[in-house]
Amino acid sequence: MNTTKIVIVGFGNVGRAFARTLALKRKIIENKYAVSPVVVGVVDSKGMAVKSEGFTDYELLKLSELPRSGVNMFSPYARSYVDLNYVYDVAQPDIHVELTPSNYETGEPGVSNILLALNRGIHVVTANKAPIALKYEELTSIAKKKSLYLKFRSTVMGGSPLIDTLLSLKSEDVERIDGILNATTNYILTEMHDKLMDFNDALRKAQSLGIAEANPSLDVDGLDAAAKLTILSHVIGYSVKLGDVRRESLSNVGLRNVIEAVKEGYVIKYIASLDVIRREAFVKAVKIPRSDLFAQVNGVMNAVKIKTDTGDLFLMGKGGGGLETAHSVLDDVVTVALNMKRVV
Amino acid sequence: MVVKIGGSLLRKASDYVYAAENIKRLFIENNRRPIIVISASKGVTDTLIQVAMGSKDKLIEIEDKYLDMAHELGSARLIQRVREEISRLRKIVENIQSTDPSLTDYILSHGEKLSKIIMVNALELQGVNAFELNAVDLVITNNKHGDAVIDYPATSIALEKIYHIIKERRYVPVLEGFIGRSVEGYVTTLGRGGSDYTATAIAALLRVDRVYLVTDVDGIMTCDPDLIPSAKLVKYMSYMEALEAAMYGVKGINPKAFDPLEKIYGSNVYVGSWKLFGTFISKRINEAQRGPKLIVIKDTGDSSYIAIVGEGVSRTRFLRNLISIIDDLGIEVNGIQSHVHRPSLIVYVNREQGIKALKQLHRILFEGD
Repeated sequence: MNTTKIVIVGFGNVGRAFARTLALKRKIIENKYAVSPVVVGVVDSKGMAVKSEGFTDYELLKLSELPRSGVNMFSPYARSYVDLNYVYDVAQPDIHVELTPSNYETGEPGVSNILLALNRGIHVVTANKAPIALKYEELTSIAKKKSLYLKFRSTVMGGSPLIDTLLSLKSEDVERIDGILNATTNYILTEMHDKLMDFNDALRKAQSLGIAEANPSLDVDGLDAAAKLTILSHVIGYSVKLGDVRRESLSNVGLRNVIEAVKEGYVIKYIASLDVIRREAFVKAVKIPRSDLFAQVNGVMNAVKIKTDTGDLFLMGKGGGGLETAHSVLDDVVTVALNMKRVV
Repeated sequence: MVVKIGGSLLRKASDYVYAAENIKRLFIENNRRPIIVISASKGVTDTLIQVAMGSKDKLIEIEDKYLDMAHELGSARLIQRVREEISRLRKIVENIQSTDPSLTDYILSHGEKLSKIIMVNALELQGVNAFELNAVDLVITNNKHGDAVIDYPATSIALEKIYHIIKERRYVPVLEGFIGRSVEGYVTTLGRGGSDYTATAIAALLRVDRVYLVTDVDGIMTCDPDLIPSAKLVKYMSYMEALEAAMYGVKGINPKAFDPLEKIYGSNVYVGSWKLFGTFISKRINEAQRGPKLIVIKDTGDSSYIAIVGEGVSRTRFLRNLISIIDDLGIEVNGIQSHVHRPSLIVYVNREQGIKALKQLHRILFEGD
């Protein structure tokens, strides 16, 4: 059995779902791929838990039941400080799994964490979007130089293999990408259309159900979708800067706009678009004919249309909830484990 | 096996400890690996319905109840977990006043979730390696909020992933009854008594032979003991009889719970308390176990009817015997109704005669008189 040591950095919803998924699916993964990912360290904002021989499945389940920022309560493995170098020294991980929250101003702590891991010769799997959106060039060139993997499949449409699909389009030229890439805003719009709620009520409902964050600005003002679009632009080799994506906030769309659109035979969707030929990228509310595929994408579903010089692709799937994202992260971990060069 | 623990057994911290002791004694120490399905503490679901309608006082009531239990059971972790769940609830209630059914279900789900967190802690205090499973990840339903129906194929796929860990290890999973998730991804609830339905669905889908429904009585009774103190335990019942009894409103049986057992896999169901599982319900019963099982009275306006439930009670021989009993007792009957395909028989009587007739019939049918 090929044992792969993992450190999880960032232990919120996705981190917990990842630990649980790994514990519950380990047998299946071992049987199918002869790969056994073991977690040797878990790090959150206030502390860490380190066990160089790897946490048992039961310990992983128990870690995922800790209170928020409570890894430092996990005795006897707990430390009440954060020091990644210490974890690397003690546990010698193969893969660093970066699950800290996205910060689009500085990219931190994700950027520094990923740089540290790569510089120490550790493969990286990240669900944190900001480092990939902001520092793609720098991070990938270091990874390349060091012959390390930097995987980020879960950053866009966490529930669907979109990035893998784009990477597999090796001879096709991608001319345009349009997507419903943010689940929160799509949920809000669906509620506005179906229940004739106004924007603020729909937003409050999304917050209550835990779909939208307490600070909804990342979603509602289009930054999350713009970051995802930026990541896609890097993947297809036509990089745009996050700051160059034109954004119009969804909060400008009122119930009146929705009703008018419906009367005219349209629905309103919050669309992120990258036009390679016209050299433009934007996130804005767009009137879509009711017969269009995008009009059928409702609630927390995501979808993307990819136009290439040979034809069109349409991919639809659940946006990244904790569980879906955790599975995508685990997919990346298994891929790295299967392909990484073993130091004997 | 699947073990469902009813909310009436979970009123205070010591009840969770007692339940954990019994799980250890009855199952773990006998080398059995139970899957625990847990209800919310008694009364919590009703209180949460008021919370969903905007009552902040009721939220404090919930907070006090579960925090008291957490303090009593000890660990700082547990107290913090309970605080986190309550603060999530508070945010919802402060944010929105809506009777939207999807929100109500989401709010209600916290009752079972808190109960689960406390139960896992109580089991660990007994040295049992328990862990939390999330019903929202496993029990997939349609989108009928408040009374959802379980999607068996989708749930079966979700359950596959826990199968290994249950089969091969000694960890005891605890999950919320009554809670599910729609295919669209929103929290749903399964309706009154939904925890039984969760338990039987999981048992049937995992092909588990035994389901224990633990409650505060020793089993199904031949009649409501408030009406007839000499009522006895019903030892054996078939699904068909149990379903029929449920239709007449007999307590402790939820008709939805038999759906997965009928359709997917016929697990045996044991109904009772920690002291005694007095009633055994199976897909089929043998010839000797047929006959009247229990008796129910219902008022419908001016008149009452008495229903006798049991396979075989609509047969000619039973009818003939019953009529002669009624004749001997001198009960004035307004009508008798039976159908060969139904395991029940209905006797219509005047309302003022109802209870007396019920007692007389119960004595003859169940007390060997």
